[in-house]
Amino acid sequence: MSEAKQVSMLEKDAKELLSKHGITVPRSIMSRDLPDSSGLHFPVVLKVSDDSILHKTDVGGVVLNIGSREALEKEFKAMKLKFPQSAYLVEEMAPPGVEFIIGIIKDRDFGNVIMLGSGGIFTELYEDVSFRKVPISSSDATEMISEIASRRFCHGFRGKKVNCDSLVELLLNISRIVESNLYPIYSIDLNPVIASEKGVIVADAKILLANTI
Amino acid sequence: MRLKCYPSVEEIPSEVDLAVITLPAKQAVVALEQSVRKKVHFVIIVAGGFSETGDEGKNLEQMIRDLIRGTETRVIGPNTVGVLFPYTGLNTALTPNDRLFFPGRGEVGFLSQSGALGLLVMDSITEYGMGISGFINIGNRADLGEIDALELFEVDQNTKSVVMYLESISDGESFFKSLKRVNRKKPVVVLKTGRSRESTRAAASHTGAMASNDRVFGGVLKQVGVTRAFDETELLDFGRVLAYQKPPAGKRVAVITTAGGVGVLTTDLLTSTDAHGRCEMANFSEEEEAEMRKFVLPFASVANPIDLTADGSTEAYGSILDILVRSPYVDAIIAYALPQTPKINLDIVSPLTVAARSKPVVAGAIGNRLSKDILRELEVARIPAYPSVSRTVAAMKVLCEYGEYMRRHGNE
Repeated sequence: MSEAKQVSMLEKDAKELLSKHGITVPRSIMSRDLPDSSGLHFPVVLKVSDDSILHKTDVGGVVLNIGSREALEKEFKAMKLKFPQSAYLVEEMAPPGVEFIIGIIKDRDFGNVIMLGSGGIFTELYEDVSFRKVPISSSDATEMISEIASRRFCHGFRGKKVNCDSLVELLLNISRIVESNLYPIYSIDLNPVIASEKGVIVADAKILLANTI
Repeated sequence: MRLKCYPSVEEIPSEVDLAVITLPAKQAVVALEQSVRKKVHFVIIVAGGFSETGDEGKNLEQMIRDLIRGTETRVIGPNTVGVLFPYTGLNTALTPNDRLFFPGRGEVGFLSQSGALGLLVMDSITEYGMGISGFINIGNRADLGEIDALELFEVDQNTKSVVMYLESISDGESFFKSLKRVNRKKPVVVLKTGRSRESTRAAASHTGAMASNDRVFGGVLKQVGVTRAFDETELLDFGRVLAYQKPPAGKRVAVITTAGGVGVLTTDLLTSTDAHGRCEMANFSEEEEAEMRKFVLPFASVANPIDLTADGSTEAYGSILDILVRSPYVDAIIAYALPQTPKINLDIVSPLTVAARSKPVVAGAIGNRLSKDILRELEVARIPAYPSVSRTVAAMKVLCEYGEYMRRHGNE
């Protein structure tokens, strides 16, 4: 494999790509200045949008759960001071649910592989993940879910239930996007994917494209 | 030895099917060149000192590829003990018989990247008389590799399952396709080393941080329904069960024993989830239990696990197994042939053989003297049998998992 550098898609563009393929992402606007009316429902999330920043949370570039217009204006000002050269993404906050992680990486032996994991800190704490080679079938997706501990939410656990059919659909959709070769995808991190009884929503998306030039 | 010798392969008047080159690396390449001119079909290059040793060795190995490109000659090795095919009597391993035994004819095809481990494993399995359909040590695989060996076993009539020991994969995409296809016809078991985490992946990605080679490999094996072994004992244990028994129609297992402790331990291991999955304990109907009662002492257990107690005999085994074979609630049977009580002897093999014609049977025999004799007799009858509870249970789990994969994905 060549040593070509990868380029990171802006989160907004990554989510637009996903949305174009029928994947649910939060409603959002991107702007350098806060418009008078965003049309978004509170609570919202404010994120710095800059392709030079890969880990936004680590540099204080993400503010979650902003409950009102006043609070948003205050946070927007603070964000502009911190990252004066950037644009900013305001997103509706995904409703609470069970967190999963879905990803794509290129494996040395098997090419594109897809991962499903229990989300949040549990991904790394319990290394509760399952891998398959792309493309996957719907029974592959079902078996991936059955291999991780969070499978129990499919039938309800401690009052939380997940629509696992939509999780299967999302896995298949990601597999199809990668397999289609429409985009030179190098890797994908959907983290977190928030799942509830109503369906699944991709709250954060990082897509790296192979630099084809 | 009164064998006719020639100064070079090219001076042999007849056609040559196979050349085994036992010269050191540099001279081996010269002998290969002569073999190619002689149009020898297969050449086994035994010597090490090729790509595993550094740049000079890598160049020599490249010379092997260059020499055979576009010719009819195919190479096994270098750095290999070669092949063993008991059905034709071909054995190229240069190990003396007073050191290691070689297995006889069997149904398990064995391919190994390591020569020494392959030889040692083959020596070990002769203890209970297990045979193989063939052994191929692919070595450095300058030409023929694991996919070629797998596809040979795919079409070999004597082979019913394939086991492979690998340290690396030469072509993941082709390997995936071959495994998927072959495993549906002949179950495949893989033992792959190098399980420790690879640390070179970009930490930029959460997925990348989780994606050790081992996890990806494990996921890919599940995707194609290939059984994974974690050591050399499992590799041949699983190859045997998958070669000798058809996969069960479900995961409900009946256990029959003459020792209560063995039954309870089997239940614990069978119903707990581990790397090889889990099975369920079959529930018998009241009619079935009443029928079984007729053949056992009043205090024996006819609920699963069935405990015939010290009174258990070959006849009782036969009667109970007959009920289990007919039961719609039983998919597979674990039968223990334990030598501690007076009525169990080598005759036990006969009712197990009869039962195995109708339903998958895995047997266990614990102990040293009579137990080993029983295990050898069961091997002759091609009933997969193991000298411990954990090995018996693991073999049954693997058989159930393969059956489940085929039910789910068999039509893909």
